[in-house]
Amino acid sequence: MSGFGAILRKDLKLEMRTGDSTITLIALSMLILVVLVLAFNPAEGRTGDLAAGALWVALIFAGMLGSSRALVAERDNSCILGLLLSPIDCAQIYAAKLAAAFIFMMVAEAAAVILLMLFFNLEFGMKLALLAPPVILGALGVAAVSTLLATIASRTRAGDLLLPVLVVPIFVPALIAGVKASAAALSGATMAELLGWIRLLIAFDVLFVAAGYLLFDYVVVED
Amino acid sequence: MKNTWQTGLGLVTLAAMVAAVYMALVGAPTEAEQGAVQRIFYFHVPCAMVTFASFGLVAIAGALYLWLGSQIWDDLEYAAVEVGMVFCTLVLITGSIWAKPIWGAWWTWDSRLTTTFILWLIYGGYLLLRTFGGDTPQVARFAAVVGIIGALDVPIIVVSVRLWRTIHPAVLLTRQGEHGLQDPRMVAALLISMLAFTTLFVWFLSLRFKMLRVHSRLTGLKRDLALWQAAGEGGR
Repeated sequence: MSGFGAILRKDLKLEMRTGDSTITLIALSMLILVVLVLAFNPAEGRTGDLAAGALWVALIFAGMLGSSRALVAERDNSCILGLLLSPIDCAQIYAAKLAAAFIFMMVAEAAAVILLMLFFNLEFGMKLALLAPPVILGALGVAAVSTLLATIASRTRAGDLLLPVLVVPIFVPALIAGVKASAAALSGATMAELLGWIRLLIAFDVLFVAAGYLLFDYVVVED
Repeated sequence: MKNTWQTGLGLVTLAAMVAAVYMALVGAPTEAEQGAVQRIFYFHVPCAMVTFASFGLVAIAGALYLWLGSQIWDDLEYAAVEVGMVFCTLVLITGSIWAKPIWGAWWTWDSRLTTTFILWLIYGGYLLLRTFGGDTPQVARFAAVVGIIGALDVPIIVVSVRLWRTIHPAVLLTRQGEHGLQDPRMVAALLISMLAFTTLFVWFLSLRFKMLRVHSRLTGLKRDLALWQAAGEGGR
């Protein structure tokens, strides 16, 4: 796993020094929340449902952008060739990129949840702890699918425009489970009530992390 | 000639389709509760069946392409997506026409409808990828990956949207083990229609597959020609 560790360490160090991904992701999440607050006016009741929906819109779009950045940056400087030439398994490159994207997303999501509490006037407390499992699992799911598909999308004529078209439909089951679980958590449900949705999210994550791990070889190789 | 069996299949499809239209519109009795609208079911169900068969074929051909790397699997996969999308669109349209009088709305976010629509979106994305990617071996690999993960997604989509909501009529067999088709003529109409749509699917697929094979061969020849010309210029 030394290849995995080296790439992840490099990405984290780069991020600590520039802060590009996390700052962009936090700004984007914030803007999405503001747009949704203005569009739906949460003062008129059903705050929990709206807040959950808004959080997941921010999560999916920030996740797609963040994951695509990690790989696009490698290609802009032709660093991906160096990575491919190095004696590291392609699957390890995928795992490292996925881990980096996931960590950046977690930072952005933590900020987004705090903003959510403020914007939607929600209470801090136990509800937040229950919000964590679906959000963490959802972030992992978005990162797994986007890291695999971002490479594909960025090499077409449509470029990054194609990424949401490919990722969003694939992500739908996790989105449904995540929004439902988050809405339940915000309206004061217990952990046991969330369990069905959490299981679905775990299944989604396992499936797509495994698929990405196995299929990344075919996507990243240059002709 | 190679074309003979394709022409033959086309004629069989034509005959089966005429029989299916006759059975669906005249041969089968009018359903007691829903009335004439129910007759669209004889086209809706076979279309759905063919859609799922072709998307399944996409995943199998995609996996074989990644494994063996032979162009023939890529062509089969692409053909299956294109034909599958035609039938998937038909499922959504015929379903809507039935839903308006029965459910009172063209569209509801029922589990089966949502699943079918999401599949339509996934493979629509696949077609956009093909369109914007051009035909290189790299894009063919990308497309195979999208086709495979699209199929992997199906079970999770089905479970998630079923937990979410459902009002779709039980498909043929209900939990009690009885099906909605009380009259044997209804069953006959459905079976003939299924046969007609299966042959239609195979016929469409074979036509499209053949066209893509020719296209791949042409691309290969063009590439060889370009290499040959470049070699000739280099020699001079």
